Amino acid sequence: MQDALFYTFAFLTLMFGFLVIANPFSRNPVTSAMFLVLTIISLAGLFVLLHAFFLAAVQVLVYAGAVMVLFLFVIMLLDLKAEERRKIKTLGVVGGLISTGAILAIFLSSLLKAPLGATQSPVVEGGTVALAKLLFTQYLLPFEIVSLLLLVAIVGVVLLSKKDLK
Amino acid sequence: MNLSLLSHELLVLALGLGLLLVDLWLPVPAKRKLGYVAAAGVGLILLYSLFCVQLPASSPVQYAFGQMYALDGLALFFKRFFLLAALIVLLMSVEFADRIASGIAEFYALMLFALSGMLFASSANDFALLFVSLELITVTFYVLTSFQRARVTSLEAGVKYLIIGALSTAFTVYGIALVYGISHTLNFGLLSGVAAQYGDNKIFLFGLALVLVGLGFKIAAFPFQIWAPDVYQGAPTPVTAFLAIGSKAAGFALLLRVLFIAVPDITARWSNLLIIISGVSILYGNLCAIPQRNLKRLLGYSSIAHAGYLLLGVAALSAAGRSAVLYYLSGYLFTVLSAFTVICLALRGVEGEDVGGLAGLHRRSPLLAATMTLAMASLAGIPPLAGFFGKFLLLKAVVEQGPTHPGYYCLTFTALAGVVISLYYYFGVVRAMYWPGEAADLSPIVVSKPIRLTLYGCIGGMLYLGLFPNGLLEAANQAVKLLR
Repeated sequence: MQDALFYTFAFLTLMFGFLVIANPFSRNPVTSAMFLVLTIISLAGLFVLLHAFFLAAVQVLVYAGAVMVLFLFVIMLLDLKAEERRKIKTLGVVGGLISTGAILAIFLSSLLKAPLGATQSPVVEGGTVALAKLLFTQYLLPFEIVSLLLLVAIVGVVLLSKKDLK
Repeated sequence: MNLSLLSHELLVLALGLGLLLVDLWLPVPAKRKLGYVAAAGVGLILLYSLFCVQLPASSPVQYAFGQMYALDGLALFFKRFFLLAALIVLLMSVEFADRIASGIAEFYALMLFALSGMLFASSANDFALLFVSLELITVTFYVLTSFQRARVTSLEAGVKYLIIGALSTAFTVYGIALVYGISHTLNFGLLSGVAAQYGDNKIFLFGLALVLVGLGFKIAAFPFQIWAPDVYQGAPTPVTAFLAIGSKAAGFALLLRVLFIAVPDITARWSNLLIIISGVSILYGNLCAIPQRNLKRLLGYSSIAHAGYLLLGVAALSAAGRSAVLYYLSGYLFTVLSAFTVICLALRGVEGEDVGGLAGLHRRSPLLAATMTLAMASLAGIPPLAGFFGKFLLLKAVVEQGPTHPGYYCLTFTALAGVVISLYYYFGVVRAMYWPGEAADLSPIVVSKPIRLTLYGCIGGMLYLGLFPNGLLEAANQAVKLLR
């Protein structure tokens, strides 16, 4: 069951990731952004399979939620019509291939060195319960100051963006 | 745990939140006066701090929230320093209020929130608290810097500060992550125990260096000074003043804590680095200030030079040097705040805050002209003012270390050369006031009573610290006793 889920999510992540950068049907930036959301959600599924529930939740909340909304805002504000007509340059393709190839080489070389499956399953760290306990005991003061920071940010945003204040 | 240790911060926060709430019910014309309420509140907290808060002799350091928050001599010194600075800046803001189109109550409240960030920073004994308090200060200043939305320069300054500040935040947090990854602790107390064994660990040293980069941005030392002139020029004058004194002093409070409480063993080997940063900051700031015509921009470059002078005391790696830093900062507080108060009043409506706008100031308002002259003399380091004695202490501390490392003698000469260069442009400002080519506007400037008192206080402070340094020097020596 776990294996099947892993392969499903891994396949989905790769497929959606591919569709973000090279969608054969549409070159609309908004479509790309939407596929990025799906990529991130499939990644969150992989995190769940690793028992990293907090990371999975943060992945969905922060990346799929907040960061993507920001992306969409920028895309819509900038009105990237030119992007749809843009030709793909050879130099860009070569540069991209070289850099991804280098990363792939490093990844494969380290993967081949490490024996797979022989090690014990690692201890799960960073669970929600442990994190919450730390936040409300040891790191309570910084946590509370962050709430103040958010207040300042809200006041600032209202002041700087509202049309006419009294 | 004893919550009363945080009394300064809690009181300032209550005051700030109170202002935000009261703002909802006040009619618009009365809002400007809220600044006096805020200033009075900060004044009361300062009095409370001076007369009611004392550290018991039996336990010179008191901790709260684990060992995250420390109340010691250094923290208390800086807390009083920040409260005094905020008091003067708030009074200045009331004079400035008519130039802020909207949201004046929030302006005062944000100043108080920035103040609370500085108070937290002065007590930070943990990288987590260091980071959030730095962010609280910086994020508040992003908003304050771009507060005059209608002015393009203000917005430009805000955007520049935002981008460069975000970059420095990234450096800091990356550095903290590396330090934590190697040492498994964020606490300064625990770190000081284990730092010596990581003295040769490149990742640990790299992490610490990145944290120093972040703090270097805060104090505007070379090579992280690039934002200072533009932001100083564009920000509303009271904000520039608060940035020049509060933000810089918070950077130094954290720098002293990181270097001399968290990793003293490693700092002892970094004298070369500190000497170079200090020397180059002094030369860069002073040389670039020479051609400036905009007074706020000139003070921006001068603040880079002053970061260099202050780093002299850090580079000296001695108790005398550290207490000289505290002394110099105190003198700098009165000096820089009086200069900005004069700019705020005298250059009202002068496009670009040109130095020429000061022409004939001694006829328009003798008090303002006298204050500006004294402030410039103190910044240049003319006896008997505070700036002179502060520089004397810093140089003395550096020369004392001379026998251990020849670099200290070079640094002394660099600093003296910087002082000589700075005489030229500081006295250029004085000359513009008293020997004008032609003064366009000779209408007298009305100085309100609170500002008059503030200016008398600043002049008194500059003269007192220059003539009778013993009292404050003793306090500064006590404050740095626990650093090593």
